[in-house]
Amino acid sequence: MKGNHNTGKSARKLVSTGAKHLFLILMSLISIYPVLYVIALAFSQGESLAMPNLLLGFIPLPTRFTLEHFTSILHLQVVTGSNFPVWVRNSLLITTTTVVGAVALTLPAGYAFSRRSFRGQQASMFSFLLPTMFPGVVTIIPQFLLFASLGLVDTYWAVIIPFIVGSLSLSIFIMKSAFDSIPREIDEAAMIDGAGEFRIFYRMLVPLTLPSIATVGLWSFMGAWLDFALSHVMLSNNSLWTLPLALYDFLQPNYTYYGSFSALSLVMAIPVFVVFMVFQKYLVSGLTAGSVKG
Amino acid sequence: MASTSGPGGVLRRIRGSAYLFILPALIGLVFLVLYPFAYNIFISFTNMNTYHIRPCVNIFVPGTSCYNVQSNLFKNYLAVFADPAFLRIAVNTVIWTFANVIPHVTIGLVLAFVLNSKVRGRSIYRMFMIVPWAMPAFITLLIWKEMFNYQYGVVNALLAHIGVGAINWLNGGCSSAMLAMIIANIWLGYPFMMIIFSGALQSIPNELYEAASIDGAVGFRQMRYISIPLIKPTIVIGFFLGCIWTFNNFNAAYLITSGGPYAVSGGSVYGCTTIFITEAYNLAFPGGGALANYAVGAAYAFIAFLMLLLPGIFWTRYTGLTRRTS
Repeated sequence: MKGNHNTGKSARKLVSTGAKHLFLILMSLISIYPVLYVIALAFSQGESLAMPNLLLGFIPLPTRFTLEHFTSILHLQVVTGSNFPVWVRNSLLITTTTVVGAVALTLPAGYAFSRRSFRGQQASMFSFLLPTMFPGVVTIIPQFLLFASLGLVDTYWAVIIPFIVGSLSLSIFIMKSAFDSIPREIDEAAMIDGAGEFRIFYRMLVPLTLPSIATVGLWSFMGAWLDFALSHVMLSNNSLWTLPLALYDFLQPNYTYYGSFSALSLVMAIPVFVVFMVFQKYLVSGLTAGSVKG
Repeated sequence: MASTSGPGGVLRRIRGSAYLFILPALIGLVFLVLYPFAYNIFISFTNMNTYHIRPCVNIFVPGTSCYNVQSNLFKNYLAVFADPAFLRIAVNTVIWTFANVIPHVTIGLVLAFVLNSKVRGRSIYRMFMIVPWAMPAFITLLIWKEMFNYQYGVVNALLAHIGVGAINWLNGGCSSAMLAMIIANIWLGYPFMMIIFSGALQSIPNELYEAASIDGAVGFRQMRYISIPLIKPTIVIGFFLGCIWTFNNFNAAYLITSGGPYAVSGGSVYGCTTIFITEAYNLAFPGGGALANYAVGAAYAFIAFLMLLLPGIFWTRYTGLTRRTS
């Protein structure tokens, strides 16, 4: 190569930096594109999917800006006899119960696995891990038949109970590692002071694991708030529907409400999205908690 | 353990109550996961369907009072394996899994490396790139379904700009539907890989790179001889977790195409984008008043489980997840 060695090097660096930025801009755009698209649809007039408004030929923009979909999903009756407020109430009810139940079951179990050694500990820990290897459908079919035989299909319990149990595998291991990280000296000091075990557990240890409790709560919240596969099977009566079932129904071939669909998907997604962005660190550490060797 | 025999042996006295702590969770697990799992295997050896189910009074004792439900022995499994559709579904499942996970890992790795270099504004880029992971998949999958709409979808609108004619993604040929489904799921999956690989890259001590650059190793050589070998365990974890998750990803495989469109192979109808778990689900819960074939659905579900068993065992061993830490 002719010319100064240094300029050649910096030119090459400039090209590589430029290439990196180009790549990153492209990937960022791809990453947010569906969201841009659904935002544009949610604020466009009409229920149609046709959206000719593409800025620079690719960035979706609303056609005739409106808030009508956000106000209308509050009143919309997609199927007679059921409406949005009922679905919101169902979703909130089911989700809250699931979160409370999941935390209530995981806390003591995580504690016992961390602080005690007892006969059958390894085996029971393994059995909690087992479901992570099951394809979901392996349990959906028998669970449905089980609940059907108990007359519980089309009740809230038909989803709440499986949601709670479904969150246990991950949650128990998150809680176990949370308790593992608290020094045992704390328990022992309290015990010498005469505190009973249960008291130590809920007065001293539980407050120290609040971040992990939040993680467990978040995971079970998202599992319940967004579940489709099980709810679709268990809740056929539309007055029991949750928001995901309503959202899915918006896209059925016979009546498509693309505008309302987009508005509702934003309304449903934004709380989860914000929580996810804020608690990202906890969520990742929770997910990989079990996968760290040692 | 040292602490249990600690001061006054107080802990030892109440050790029995450890079972009380795990009992509620264990009951839930037994009745809602382990028992249904066993029951699923039982169902797969019967003729249980919409009609052969009703008189089943005591479901907790499989087979006792279900006179209408009869044992089929291996009939379901033989029928499944003899069905030409089975092979197509198996091929679909394999394609689906690897066509997703390989791009997930590759894109995630490239992004992790680029974002780990000193690029200006990388925290902003990173925030954008996490969006597919932070948005609920259930919702973004339905958005992708809209995007692939034949007449009005934005994918075809974009293709029109570069002179490609409209493609009937979801209701056209087999391969276009599969491709659409895979594109959407690749989009969903790379941020997670990026996050775990970035974490692994950041945990590599800087001194290693400094030492390497003194020895004259820069750029790709550092990547080849330091970064890649050191984050290899994380790559393996990512790959295995990715395979298991993708194989099991009901939402991604169901919401966009519901298993369709349908084609005929050797006289038997099969779903172009149907994989094991969606086939099990569609057989048991076909909707629209069609015959629900719980038995064959359960057989498919069990086959899917068996196919995951080996990688699952490997995964548990590899990570030592059940090992006690104290």
